Amino acid sequence: MIVQQLLNGVVIGGVYALTAMGAAMVYGILRILDLASAGAYAIGAYAGLFLYMATDNIVIAFIGAILLTGFFGTAVQKLLYIPMLNRPPIVPLIASIGLFIFIQDLLRLVAGPRIREFTVQLPFEGVKTEGLAVHPTWILIIVLAAVFLVFLWYVLTRTRIGLAWRATAQDLEIAKAMGVNINKVVALNFFLGYSFAAAAGIMVGMLYNSVFPTMGDVPAYKMLALIVLGGLGSPVGTVVAALLIGLVETLVAGYIGFFLPRDAIAFVALIIILLVKPEGLMSKKA
Amino acid sequence: MKIRQLVSLLALLVSLAVLVTGCGGGQSAQADNKGPVKIGFFAPVTGPAAADGESVLNAAKLAVEKINSDGGINGRKVELVNYDDALDSKQAVSIAQKLTTKDGVVAVVSGSYSGTTRAAAKIYQDAKIPMISAYALHPDITKTGNYMFRQSFVGSVQGKAGAKVAVDLLKAKKIAILMVDIDFGKTLAAGFREKAEQLGAQIVSVDSFSTGEKEFTPVLTKIKQLNPDLIYIPGYAPECSQIVRQAKELGITAKFLGTEGADSTVQFLGVAKDAANGVIITTNMNRDSDRKIVQDFIQGYNQKFGHKPDMVAASTYDAFMVLANVMKTKGTEPDKIRQGLSELKDFEAVTGLIKGYNKIGEVKKAVQVQIVKDGEFHYFGEITDDDIITPPSE
Repeated sequence: MIVQQLLNGVVIGGVYALTAMGAAMVYGILRILDLASAGAYAIGAYAGLFLYMATDNIVIAFIGAILLTGFFGTAVQKLLYIPMLNRPPIVPLIASIGLFIFIQDLLRLVAGPRIREFTVQLPFEGVKTEGLAVHPTWILIIVLAAVFLVFLWYVLTRTRIGLAWRATAQDLEIAKAMGVNINKVVALNFFLGYSFAAAAGIMVGMLYNSVFPTMGDVPAYKMLALIVLGGLGSPVGTVVAALLIGLVETLVAGYIGFFLPRDAIAFVALIIILLVKPEGLMSKKA
Repeated sequence: MKIRQLVSLLALLVSLAVLVTGCGGGQSAQADNKGPVKIGFFAPVTGPAAADGESVLNAAKLAVEKINSDGGINGRKVELVNYDDALDSKQAVSIAQKLTTKDGVVAVVSGSYSGTTRAAAKIYQDAKIPMISAYALHPDITKTGNYMFRQSFVGSVQGKAGAKVAVDLLKAKKIAILMVDIDFGKTLAAGFREKAEQLGAQIVSVDSFSTGEKEFTPVLTKIKQLNPDLIYIPGYAPECSQIVRQAKELGITAKFLGTEGADSTVQFLGVAKDAANGVIITTNMNRDSDRKIVQDFIQGYNQKFGHKPDMVAASTYDAFMVLANVMKTKGTEPDKIRQGLSELKDFEAVTGLIKGYNKIGEVKKAVQVQIVKDGEFHYFGEITDDDIITPPSE
């Protein structure tokens, strides 16, 4: 039972990591808590579903959907956030809430309020024994989450754009003065951030065989807890926090049975961490 | 100066508001016996319960169309005054205020959940406008007062019927309960537990989940260890479909017994797919019934909206039909409608023969039991025992 529960926890954590990563990256550079990332998660799922229905090929659907959502992300930063950069942080935050609600209602109007099924037959089998069950979609989630996160780590630490990125995250104005093309960095940042969110949306859609307009609701607030917990804007911290919360939620639900809903556990953890280590799990003290 | 301007602006607004509501009152249907008969309706057409909202709004429109094509209320047309509460109690309250003060409705059907319906009930009661709750289950709704009626079974009745199915029909001895952690799940689970233990079954675990939850493997892994014969799942279709899917993936072999919350063709059968086969639910509608009214409703709905109706749609449709029937015989004044509802006897509805509403407005009718076979709901049984289907009267 413990092996099964640990595996459940890792799968849930992997999904959280991907979902929160986009928002963590955006916060890392622009210092904007971008709730609309949760909208990108839903857009990605719908785009994936419609492309899959049109092409009957999950690989094309997956790549197409994350590219589309990525471009949507660059449009959002250009049209919405860049003009607001010099306003107090509450302004872009409220704009992002507005955009998120807009996306949800747009999806509802376009695709209807009902759950849409996202049934994909994967070409490989899972594992099913007496003590352990591994669903094929779980394998896909773990592998894809790992690939995406390694890719992000590589870009951030081993490439020039990653260097520019880190410089921008440290101080946007100084990076600009040093000749970093801020516009390009921010655009790419949003592109990748929204692609991550879309990838998470598609995988969750497949995992639960359902895509619906309000599917971003829970990720919207949970990813905020995760990026604060991980140390605002620290990608590694966000991954660690996501895996931790996935495991804690699973173990609490499986062994203790909690009087609070499962989703509240992330916030209980957040409160405890903020009391003990106010800068978050992985953030260095300024 | 500025303050003075503000005060005069406010005064203007207040006088405008008084004028507008005054006019609204003047046009009220209560005073007008020639115009259409207005029936108020509210449902969560947007927000997290939008799928049910859409379903019940469709049913409301279909019902009003049917009433009008059959000649209306003694020649007068029925007009549907519908609002979206977005599953938000605050909106449900302001809709109630609008319906009772401005729109001049003579009766109201709630197409919403327990939380919103409960919040709005007091306003309809105070305004003395009868309300039928189509499918909201919480006991407090009808307890609000004598203008409140319920079309669906109160939670305790359906819970007890579920226990009878589990223990007597399915021979379950060890039962795990996995319920949605709101009024709906709690009242059903309480009724179920009481009756199941009385019938000699053992409840091995009670777990709850919040609405919108998608991941059940942790709690199902735990339940699997307890090896129950049956898992009772009072919850809604989006969550129940995940529970049965994930249980199957984990290799759980226990039977599943759901409630009317899982009674949804698209959201339960569509999402759960093969995992839904064999799932049994207690509900309101018998799809295999050979009564003409049932088949006409299913066909009419399917033709108009492109998919088969679910329980919430059937209950909402019936609420309108009951109102139309009462208004035809008793008149269209809210008081007469209330009187007519409390005296209703043996009315043929889609959801079965309504034996009547008791003194607190709870409906009495047989509980339907359906089983999923080849991806569709079919007849499994019917609970007619008087001690189970008689609703509490206080």
